[in-house]
Amino acid sequence: MRASRTRTAGVIAVAGVSSVLLAACGSSSSSSTVAASSGTGSAAAASCNGKKIAFVMGAESDPFFQAMKVGATDETAKQGATLIWQGDPKEYSPATQIPVVDQVLAQQPDALVLIPTDPDALQAEVTKAVAANVVVANVDTHVTDLSQVLTFITGDNADGGAKAADAIATAIGYKAGTKYKVVVGLSSETATTNVARLEGFKKAIADKYAGVEIVDVAYSQSKPEVANTNVNNWLTKYPDLNGIFAIDGTNGQGAAAALQAKGLTGKIALVGYDAYPDNVKLIKTGVFTALVAQDPATEARQAVDAVCTKLSGGDVSGIKHEVVIPNVVLDKNSSDADLQKYTYVA
Amino acid sequence: MASTDVKTPDHPVTQVVAPTSRWKTIVGNQQFILLVVWIAMIIGFSLKAPIFFSSGVAGNILLDWAPLVLIALGELIVVISAGIDLSVGATVGFSGVIGAFAMKALTSGGTGTVPTLVVGVLVCVLVGSAVGLINASLINYARLVPFIATLVTLGAASGLSLVLTKGAPIMSGPADAITLVIPWIGPFSKPVIVVVLITGVIWAFLHKARFGRYTYAIGSNAFAARAAGINVKRHITKVYVLSGFLAGLAGFFFYLRLNGGAPTSGLGMELDAIAAVVIGGAALAGGVGRVSGTVLGALILTTVTSGLIIIGVDPQWKRVVVAALIAIAATLQAFRKSEGGAS
Repeated sequence: MRASRTRTAGVIAVAGVSSVLLAACGSSSSSSTVAASSGTGSAAAASCNGKKIAFVMGAESDPFFQAMKVGATDETAKQGATLIWQGDPKEYSPATQIPVVDQVLAQQPDALVLIPTDPDALQAEVTKAVAANVVVANVDTHVTDLSQVLTFITGDNADGGAKAADAIATAIGYKAGTKYKVVVGLSSETATTNVARLEGFKKAIADKYAGVEIVDVAYSQSKPEVANTNVNNWLTKYPDLNGIFAIDGTNGQGAAAALQAKGLTGKIALVGYDAYPDNVKLIKTGVFTALVAQDPATEARQAVDAVCTKLSGGDVSGIKHEVVIPNVVLDKNSSDADLQKYTYVA
Repeated sequence: MASTDVKTPDHPVTQVVAPTSRWKTIVGNQQFILLVVWIAMIIGFSLKAPIFFSSGVAGNILLDWAPLVLIALGELIVVISAGIDLSVGATVGFSGVIGAFAMKALTSGGTGTVPTLVVGVLVCVLVGSAVGLINASLINYARLVPFIATLVTLGAASGLSLVLTKGAPIMSGPADAITLVIPWIGPFSKPVIVVVLITGVIWAFLHKARFGRYTYAIGSNAFAARAAGINVKRHITKVYVLSGFLAGLAGFFFYLRLNGGAPTSGLGMELDAIAAVVIGGAALAGGVGRVSGTVLGALILTTVTSGLIIIGVDPQWKRVVVAALIAIAATLQAFRKSEGGAS
């Protein structure tokens, strides 16, 4: 009995210690403070010396935000500021984001760059920050009332969808009067990025490529194997399929695997979204016809730049209230420099 | 009482010989009903879309069926032992991701496809078995109920997958590995054939070997099993490690299928596994369930998925169909139980 009690206590102790270790592991990746290295070559450009800039993003697990972190880290170091990078490890939701913003504001940053996970739910946090004399910028998404926000910098999802339509039309050699069949793989019926990309795609097809018919759409719930099942069955159902628009990285992986396993690489146009490193490699091998890439690093750089100008009392007349950074289409004709530049670096 | 005397209490009506009851026996046989339902589905989908009755669609269904049946068989054994394993879906993703890291490292170091895949499958099953071992330890020694113990590992495994991969799939392993999932004999690819063989082994384990008798005994009455001399803790450890092992194999299967490991792979798949097990006639209270039922349960689930896509119905309807199937299966189970109790 005694032995078993000791053993039980041991198990609990081990479980406790390992969970603390895990938590430490997790928190080190979901938040970090990057101190400025003054005295580097770029110190000349420093206009933000000693300032604290907080970034609260959507979900650490998304490579999109990893790429954004690279831009934010670079630019804050260049400006001589300290970066506080925070966000939920995996959940893109206001319920998890609001406490994170509160915690960050308690550290009294000079500026807050916020990627609000919900326009209304995060409004109060922005109001609170502004009342505490914190300069606020929005990146990627924005709160309802932009009047208190210094600048809002975003990629354009509808434009990305339209560019995907152009890329498919080019790949299939679109000619007016000919009929073509395409399918669209999505992750969710409600995610705003999915909806905007699909709308942009549909609009471009309606406006410019009337011969293209979207014969099916399906949802993967962010699981690549489900995306794979959808595409496998479409390939059986539509032997004359011309193109696939995979609306995000997960759908891209599932569709790419389906085409490779059925030996249809290069025969069916596959346009994906988001420049994950492994997907960019598949452009070279011809699996992906094209990838629509956003530029999260630039979004972050411009946001840091704008808040630094404001914080250092510089000329703010040059800061635009809304900035849309266009998407880039990567394909086999893209230069190596471009491929490297737009690949999401984690 | 010898421990080997415990019978699988799955066919309580087989000893009834009255002619009126023979019909009842057939109808009361869940596997028979499942077979009828499955054939009816195939006919229904084929009438609506003739292309459904093709080798191509059969290949697609088998590709979905193989990983599902692997984790469903693990779940079946756990359920027969009166436990539950919620961690199998997360283990699929976690083992796939760790295996993918290993295979990526080997490939970039210039190792060939075959040795890389051998190491990959070993890593996947080791990771899966380790998760199973943690489950068993939490149940046996930390005295957590299986629901909580496996909920803990579900969270830890899925969280770790995301932390380690930063959300992106891990690819860049052997590029030609994906050719393995191309159908080889008819609609069967080589990995699917391996899964069929594994299913046979599990069947023998559960229905013809001491392992199965112990599992049914513990699930029917753990106290009696202990009194009969079965080392319950050791057997429970075997049960959960086997479940984790099979989830690891499923993770490797997904790797082959997707040319990479993804942290979101297997997300929520434990519910599909439990659905396959319940539709297949197993009772969550333990002591009841058969491999043939689970195999058919998984086949029905994956047939519904492909069928709905082929006939052009939103695949989200699958959830509704599955819900109805579970309700029917559970009702049949309840009827049989009350009948068994009355006779």
